[in-house]
Amino acid sequence: MGSTPASAAQRSGAVWPAGEPLSCWQCGADRASNLFCPRCAAIQPIPDGADYFQVLGVPRRLLQDRDALHQRFYELHRQWHPDRYQTGPQGARSASLRNTAAVNRAYSTLRDPVGRGEYWLTLQGETLGAKNNRVPPELAELVFEVQEKLDELRAARGGKSAADLQREVAEVHAELLRGQAALLEQLDENFRRWDAGAAEPATLKRELKTTLSALAYLRRLIHDVEKELEA
Amino acid sequence: MERIFGIDLGTTNSLIAYSDGGTPRVIPDPDTGSPLLPSVVAFPSATEIVVGARAKALAATQPLTTIASVKRFMGLGMEHVTAADRAHYAFATGDGIVRFRIHGRDYTPPEISALILTELKHRAAAGCGEEVHKVVITVPAYFNDSQRQATRDAGRLAGFEVLRLVNEPTAASLAYGLDKRNQGFIAVYDLGGGTFDISILKLHEGIFEVLATNGDTRLGGDDIDRRIAELLLAEVPADLRGDPTVVSQATAAAEAAKIRLTDAHATALELHNGSVHVVCQLTRGEFDALIADIVERTLIPCRQALKDAGLAATDLDEVVLVGGSTRVPLVRRRVEEIFGRRPHTELDPEEVVALGAAVQAGVLSGGHRDMLLLDVVPLSLGIETMGGVMERIIERNTTIPTTVKQVFTTFVDNQTAVDFHVLQGERELAKDNRSLARFKLRGIEPQPAGLPRIEVTFMIDANGILNVTARDERTGREQSIDVKPSYGLDDEQIERMLEESIDHAEEDVSARLLIEARNDAEALLRAARKALTGSTIGADERAGIDAAIARLEAAMHATDYNRIRDLTDELNQVTTPLAQRIMDESIKQALEQKRVEEIA
Repeated sequence: MGSTPASAAQRSGAVWPAGEPLSCWQCGADRASNLFCPRCAAIQPIPDGADYFQVLGVPRRLLQDRDALHQRFYELHRQWHPDRYQTGPQGARSASLRNTAAVNRAYSTLRDPVGRGEYWLTLQGETLGAKNNRVPPELAELVFEVQEKLDELRAARGGKSAADLQREVAEVHAELLRGQAALLEQLDENFRRWDAGAAEPATLKRELKTTLSALAYLRRLIHDVEKELEA
Repeated sequence: MERIFGIDLGTTNSLIAYSDGGTPRVIPDPDTGSPLLPSVVAFPSATEIVVGARAKALAATQPLTTIASVKRFMGLGMEHVTAADRAHYAFATGDGIVRFRIHGRDYTPPEISALILTELKHRAAAGCGEEVHKVVITVPAYFNDSQRQATRDAGRLAGFEVLRLVNEPTAASLAYGLDKRNQGFIAVYDLGGGTFDISILKLHEGIFEVLATNGDTRLGGDDIDRRIAELLLAEVPADLRGDPTVVSQATAAAEAAKIRLTDAHATALELHNGSVHVVCQLTRGEFDALIADIVERTLIPCRQALKDAGLAATDLDEVVLVGGSTRVPLVRRRVEEIFGRRPHTELDPEEVVALGAAVQAGVLSGGHRDMLLLDVVPLSLGIETMGGVMERIIERNTTIPTTVKQVFTTFVDNQTAVDFHVLQGERELAKDNRSLARFKLRGIEPQPAGLPRIEVTFMIDANGILNVTARDERTGREQSIDVKPSYGLDDEQIERMLEESIDHAEEDVSARLLIEARNDAEALLRAARKALTGSTIGADERAGIDAAIARLEAAMHATDYNRIRDLTDELNQVTTPLAQRIMDESIKQALEQKRVEEIA
C-alpha cells in the first residue's frame, strides 16, 4: 500500500501510550509506533490509548488552526480510508476502519472550540457534568428576557401581534449570538494562557469550566429560539 | 482483478454499469438497447416470474401479482403499510417485515429486489460477457439502517458480494466530478420515483466530503403520478375507483401524461376499462398547481441540510439535479429559485447515479487514486433509556465510519443478561423514532448489581450500517450478543432463502424444460396429423405412425420431459419417410408448375 510509512505520530513527535510491544499483524516485525509497517508497509491499527491529538498527529495544544486541522483530516483519510483497502486482507480492512473512525471522532471533537475545551478537561481528569442547567450569571438577565419572549410568542401564535413578537424574538436571537461570540473570545483567551504554559492550572481549569458551561447553556437556548422562529 | 460492477437499484428503474478503463458505462438491454430496466416484477402464474418491461406491461391487467416500486417497502414493517398501499398490492397478514402475498406464497421486499438484481446480472453477462460477482449498490442517502440492510440482503440473495452501499446523491456527484475538477460547495437534489435526497458536499482536490444530508424516503415521482391519477379516478363510477385494474391503468395514464407535460403545455388523459371510458384535459398550469405541495415538501429538507452544513444558499458553487422526477418543469423552477442558480443537467438524470456507482466501483478496485468519498450517517442513532426517551449516541451528519463506546451494567444481583434497544431518528421519544433492533448481552457472570462492566461498541461502517460488538471490560473477553432486527431478516432467514432459491432454481429449470418439450411435441403432432390426412400411405406405415402418436400424446399429460423428448424423436423418425415423400411431391409439383409457366 503506497509509500507513506511516516506515521502521524512520528511527524508530530507525539508519545504513544506505553504498553505491550507493537508488532505488525501481517509480517510480525516490530513496528514501534509506526502506522505503516516499516518492513511490509501494511497499515497498522492506532493503539487504543491514543488521544485525539495523537490520532490526528497535531501538537497537543488548545489553540488549533481550523484549516490546518481540516487539511490533516483529508491527508489521513487519503492514507487510511476503507475504500483503499476494500479488496485487501482482513487485517488491513479492520485497521483502516478503526483508524478512520478514530480520525473522524478526533476531528469532529477538535475542530469545534467547545468540543476541544471539553475534551481538554477530560484529559485533565475533569468533566463538565452531563446535566449543565445552571444559568450563567452574566447572562441571567438576557436569558430571562428570552424565555419571556418565547412564552409570549408561543401564546400569541396565529394572533395579531405574532409578527411583532417574531421580530422581537429575532432581535434577542441576534443578541444571544453576540453573547456567544463574546464567550468564544473568552475561551480563546483561556486557550492561549494554557498554551503559554501559565503557572496557575487550577485557576485556568476553573475558568475553562465556567466558560464552557455558559457556552453549552447558550447553545441549547439558541437552538430553542431557532426552533421557535422556524415554527 | 475481478471487475466490480455498479448498480442503481431504483424505485422505478434499475441500471448496471462498469468502469471501462476509467470511463463509466451503463450496460444496455442487449435486445432493446435501453439502459433502464423497469424495477417491476410480475408473477403471471405460480411458476412464472417476469422482470422488467414485460412485467411493467402486465401491471395494467394483473395489478395484484405485479410488484412495482418495491423499494418503497425496503426495511419497513407491516405497520408502516398504508391504506393507499393496499389499493396497489396484496399483502400477507401479521406483523414484522413487510410481506407481499402472491399466488399463496409470501415474498419480502429484499426477495423481490433480488429478482431485479438477478435480471441485471443476466443483462451484464449478455452485454459484456462477464460474470457479475462483486458489486457496489446505491441507496438513497436518507435510507436508515434497516433500509440499507434490506438492500444488502437483496444483493446477497441475488448471489452478489456487496462491497459497498453508496449514497445516490454522492454517487451522482462522483460522476459529475469526473470531468470537471471543480472545487467548492455543491448541492445534489435527487428526486427519484419514490425517494427524495438532498446532499451538500464540499469538493476539494478529489475529496468529496458530504457535509450534510436530508430527505424523505417516501416522496417521489410515484406521488406525482398518484395525484394525477386521482383526477381520472374522480371521473370513474364510484364502485370502480378501488378496483386494482382501474387504479393501475389510471396510474399508467398519469405517468405518461406527466412525461408529456415536460414539453407540452396541455395534454389529455384517457382511461378505457370495459364499459368505462373517461377523458380528462390537463394543462401545465393545472399540473403545477396539482403537485405544488409535493414539490414544496422537498424544499424543507433542502433548508435543513443547508443549515446543518453551516451554509447559506449563496455559498453554493453548483447545484446538480438527479432522478427522473427532476425533469418536471416546476421542480426545476423551484430548485433554481431556492438555491438561486441554474442547476446542472448535462448528464442524464436517470443514468448519473449508476455512472457514479461505477466510478466508486473503480475506486474500490484501485482506480481513480485521486478520488475519495467521505460520507455521513443521515439520521441520529441512539438507545432507549428509562422512561422511553432516546439517548443519542451518534449525531446525524457524522462522518462515517464512526464508533462510539457505551458501558452497560446490571440492575439486580446475579443478572446474567442485559437488553438494549437501538433506534434511529431525530425525535426525543423512543416511540417516535424508528426501531432498528433489540440486542441482548448474554452470559454475564453472576455478580452483585452494578459490578459487571460490559463495553458495547457501536460502529457505523462506510456503508452507513451499524455493527455492534461487546466485551467484558474486566476480563477483556468478547461478550456474546444476540440481535433481533425490528424490520429485517436475520442471517438464518437469509440462509434459508438462499437455499430455497437454489431449490427453486432447479424447479424453475425443470418447468422450463417441460414447457419446451411439450411445445416441440405439440408442433410435431400437428404436422404429423396433417400429413396423414392428405397423403397416400401404406397400412403398416400408418399403423406405426398412429402408435407413435398415441404414445407421445399419453406422455404429454405427464411431467417427464425426458420421456416426451424421447417419444418426440421416435415420432419424428417414423414420419421421416412420409415427410420426405410429401416434400418430393411438392417439389415435383413446383417443377411441373414451372414447366407449364415456361410453356405458356
